[in-house]
Amino acid sequence: MISIGAGSSSSSSSSSAGVRMGGAKRRGKPGGAAAAAGSAAAAGPAQTKWRSGTQERIYGRRLLDALRATRSGAPHPQPRPRAVKDAADSALALTARGQSRWSRAILLAGAATCRRRVLVKAGGKIRRHPRPQARAAAAAAKAAAAASAGEPPVLRERKVKDRLRVLGRLVPGCRKLQAPDLLEETADYVAALEMQVKAMRALADALAAAQLSSNRQQAAGDDEADMER
Amino acid sequence: MSSRRGRITDEEINELISKLQALLPESSRRRAASRSSASKLLKETCGYIKSLHQEVDDLSDRLSELMSTLDDNSPQAEIIRSLLR
Repeated sequence: MISIGAGSSSSSSSSSAGVRMGGAKRRGKPGGAAAAAGSAAAAGPAQTKWRSGTQERIYGRRLLDALRATRSGAPHPQPRPRAVKDAADSALALTARGQSRWSRAILLAGAATCRRRVLVKAGGKIRRHPRPQARAAAAAAKAAAAASAGEPPVLRERKVKDRLRVLGRLVPGCRKLQAPDLLEETADYVAALEMQVKAMRALADALAAAQLSSNRQQAAGDDEADMER
Repeated sequence: MSSRRGRITDEEINELISKLQALLPESSRRRAASRSSASKLLKETCGYIKSLHQEVDDLSDRLSELMSTLDDNSPQAEIIRSLLR
């Protein structure tokens, strides 16, 4: 399990800013049902994959490892909530095995904070803000292409375009994606987030329950000690 | 599956949008399946993602608190770790 995670993360970091992982996107999921659902199913392979218990178990393990790592980094002060969230997100991206754009974006972001200097030296590939002229030119080209290529009418609406842009900002690494790819990434991302929330809540509840029982045990021990006196 | 399709057809977009609709929580969908214009759906999706992000943040806060007290009760930490493996 750990080796699979390590393999996918190393390959995604080696591709640096170029997120295109080859032409074919393998959907290698554990369940055969996902393959049967194929591309035409309305419920989508995204749900089938993330709602299976397997993924949640795998994620749970990765999450524990990541949380333990945050603790070893800063033993006594309580781990900052930000560190916990980053650990949870990285664990989620690892569980996705880098098969989706958003997961690769998360993994790259994690790698970048450690190695940003190296990557920038390697030709300045990380560009946070596209240059204004490039952006205007791209927008003009897109409008021309849309008008000429017979884009489906729903995508030409101003409102829809705006909403798509907001959506692109919410899903990691999908700011410049076109509508069909963006919608696909979103479907996968939403299903994954739901699983993440479910798993984190289960872990938090388990920890809280364990603490309650330990406090009760300690209290009982004190009572016994008192009674023996 | 996501190979370059060339021209994006109306059908494919509607398919993707209905796929998204299937993922959104039931409560909002039950009212009127017909009131599912693309822009409304996209807006709901954005709102849903934001609420999920917020939940993750809240859970991270909660977990970081719980983990700090965990250090003090080390037998409990062992038990939990072994349970959750």
